[in-house]
Amino acid sequence: MLLPHAQTLAQARSFVAALADRALTLEASSAYERALLELDRVHGDECPALDTEDLTDDRDILLAVASNAIEELESYGIDPLSVELILAMLVDAHDLDIG
Amino acid sequence: MYGENGAQMRTELAALLRQHRIMRRLAEDSSAERAAAGQQILRYRQTIVVWCAQAIGLARPLTFPNIPQKPADPFRAASDHGAAVAELARALQGAREQATTRPASSEEFTTPSANTVVEHWRLAARAAALAEHDTAPDQAIHLTAAQARTIAGDVAAISQALVVLDRRYRNTPGWEPLAGCDRLGWAALATALDVSLGQPDYSVDQTGWRPRTKPIGGPAKPGVLGVLQAEHNLLVRLASFPDAMNLRLVVDSQRLLSAGLAPYAERIDPDLARQWRARAETYSRIQRELRNVGGRLGNGKAAAGEAANAVSRLKALPPETVVEPRMLGGFQTLFRRLDSRITEILECGVERGAFVQRVTVPRLVTGDGRLVHLVRERFVPVARAADLAVIRTAREHLRPPEEPSVSSAGTSRADLHAALIHRPPAKGAQSDVPGL
Repeated sequence: MLLPHAQTLAQARSFVAALADRALTLEASSAYERALLELDRVHGDECPALDTEDLTDDRDILLAVASNAIEELESYGIDPLSVELILAMLVDAHDLDIG
Repeated sequence: MYGENGAQMRTELAALLRQHRIMRRLAEDSSAERAAAGQQILRYRQTIVVWCAQAIGLARPLTFPNIPQKPADPFRAASDHGAAVAELARALQGAREQATTRPASSEEFTTPSANTVVEHWRLAARAAALAEHDTAPDQAIHLTAAQARTIAGDVAAISQALVVLDRRYRNTPGWEPLAGCDRLGWAALATALDVSLGQPDYSVDQTGWRPRTKPIGGPAKPGVLGVLQAEHNLLVRLASFPDAMNLRLVVDSQRLLSAGLAPYAERIDPDLARQWRARAETYSRIQRELRNVGGRLGNGKAAAGEAANAVSRLKALPPETVVEPRMLGGFQTLFRRLDSRITEILECGVERGAFVQRVTVPRLVTGDGRLVHLVRERFVPVARAADLAVIRTAREHLRPPEEPSVSSAGTSRADLHAALIHRPPAKGAQSDVPGL
């Protein structure tokens, strides 16, 4: 994994983790967690560390930047179908979150 | 379990010790029948002697003589004169090796006898054969010195019973007395006295061989039972070490389960519901802290599957379902065991390096002469387990408090000791009839 890929992945992980932390219900938090797990699984658990400190509390902004970072992973050779699936999981989790 | 087999042995031996006038009990008149029963009893007794010799061999390295140690003399071989346990072990070994009778076969253990005396011997011998499982060397590594002392005391009492019975059966045709019977009796007495100087630990009764817990197979049970089934299977599957990702899935399932079951428990036991909500909180915290822990050793796919089963079955429950208190108790037991197992997995995984910590990239290796700079390090092994936040959380919040184990001596020990000094009622006395 090269540096730009690692940076993007670290951002994607951090944003999804922040979404999981800031979700209002346990189910939504768990759904975000599973999206994060899927992201890790696609990379064979070879991921950089995440850091959710100093991120915004606005979940819409977080969702937008998370989706953006995940989409960007496609350019580093990640299977496009996996990327789409993760995005779909993220949207489902967001639906659960806003009720 | 050692408690069950030991108690059975002592109960049967106590019953035998209370029988007097053995010749008439073995067979009415026929000398040949008495000899045949005697031979059978000898084989059963040999099995008990074999167990005694094995068990004292197990307890011996863990029991220490109560006499103060003399300063070691480097020019002499170490000797432990005066250690009663060593003497008992030697006497039992002698009795075992010098006997010409073979131990009973498995067929003899399982064939009931019409004669009550032989039947008591059979049951005692069967328990002794089963107890060989409980005092096998692989179980011994878990014993403490106090537990070993208890085993030594039990062997001493049983040996004493064998000595008393040997004297009583001497007139049986073809009887083979125990080799070194007197020495064995004294050694058993000395061991019992020596053991009584320390504080025995009867929790040894809970140790030993147990049947393996198996997953509950078959189709999903209806309703809450299905959730219980999946949770039980999850616990069984977690016996194999999961990798970090599957562990995260299991942890996620547990927080969903605890939080999902809390409303059902609320109607019956609000206190339990509060505990389960706290458990869900703890698991949320662990989940957060596990995000930066990785590791590919282990498997745990089956465990993750069962965890998913439990959650999906819980979600399918209609909200008006009534969960009986017994099932709540079942969940609580399973939760406790799972918590302790997950704590163990975390501790053990960090200790043996199966789980590593993701760290923020410290720096790039620049100037190594290559065009592309690689990220230098992404994982570091954890130097000290307590450095990880997840380990601290597991230790402080997840690990269930130790349950106080009930460890009393049980009635069988007292009963055997009473039977050892049992005296037959005096001739002519009719104890069964109330006196006028």
